[in-house]
Amino acid sequence: MSEQVTSVPSTISVQPSARPQFLWRIVDVIVAGIFIYAGVLKMVDPVQFANDIDNYKILPWPISVALAFYLPWLEIFCGLALIVRYFYRGALSILMALILVFTLATTAAKVRGLDITCGCFGHASQHWSFPAHLMTNLAIIAALVVLWVSNRLTKSLQGRRSAWGS
Amino acid sequence: MKFSLTRQAIMLAVLALLPAAGEAIYFRDKISWRSPIPPSESVNADQARAWGQNAIWVDARPDEEFAQDHVPGALSLNEDRWNELLPEFLAAWSPGKKVIVYCSSLSCNASREVARRLRKEAQLPDVFVLEGGWEAWLKQK
Repeated sequence: MSEQVTSVPSTISVQPSARPQFLWRIVDVIVAGIFIYAGVLKMVDPVQFANDIDNYKILPWPISVALAFYLPWLEIFCGLALIVRYFYRGALSILMALILVFTLATTAAKVRGLDITCGCFGHASQHWSFPAHLMTNLAIIAALVVLWVSNRLTKSLQGRRSAWGS
Repeated sequence: MKFSLTRQAIMLAVLALLPAAGEAIYFRDKISWRSPIPPSESVNADQARAWGQNAIWVDARPDEEFAQDHVPGALSLNEDRWNELLPEFLAAWSPGKKVIVYCSSLSCNASREVARRLRKEAQLPDVFVLEGGWEAWLKQK
């Protein structure tokens, strides 16, 4: 049985409350800050980052070099996109893909017994243990999922509001 | 202006290419696209031969490969028996001598690691990695 909404009582507000919106913005800025910080650290020393990528023994050296130049800028641009909320969903999906690849590569290296420096946060992460890497990555993945879901919910609420308004 | 998710991702990916290309040009002298070893820390087989008696050859391959064959006069120094072999190598080394480290081929990492440890832990200057390793030396033979 389909039920058609014809009118909405004026007392019902479908505008998402200001507090969760404010909280999501804080999460936005924290996640963006993490990626911008990580990107800048690697961007200033691409030689070290190329060696860090090469340590995973997955890619040929020229590709490691190309990624060492490219990935930090991608992280920085996506971080900025989260802050200014432009290309927001595109940035979220790229960052999610990046963090998943980093996590898989770190896990694969651990399984293969490689003693690696992940290089995710430049020298700051040089002495991180594997569990510390994994926990950090999982926390970032969780934050990205939360941002994605909150963005979808906000969009959906706004869509319903405009449908009711018209 | 609204863009689909895919279009947003593509635009961000393309935007990041621009500064990355600029940075690659800026760092062109500091990193080699062919090999992880910086040009200042590597030596080709011709150059290495020309150094003659002014250089000590270090074989970073495993013991079995060293036992099969090696560069004449080379000393074995691999990471498996680093603590045992390092004193023997240091006894043979003298200031002013260049050190040429090699492993099996272009793709091996043992020579890089041994060279790095000789520079860092043994504080030796003039440590070079042979481009192409043992394979390149054999070709030049």
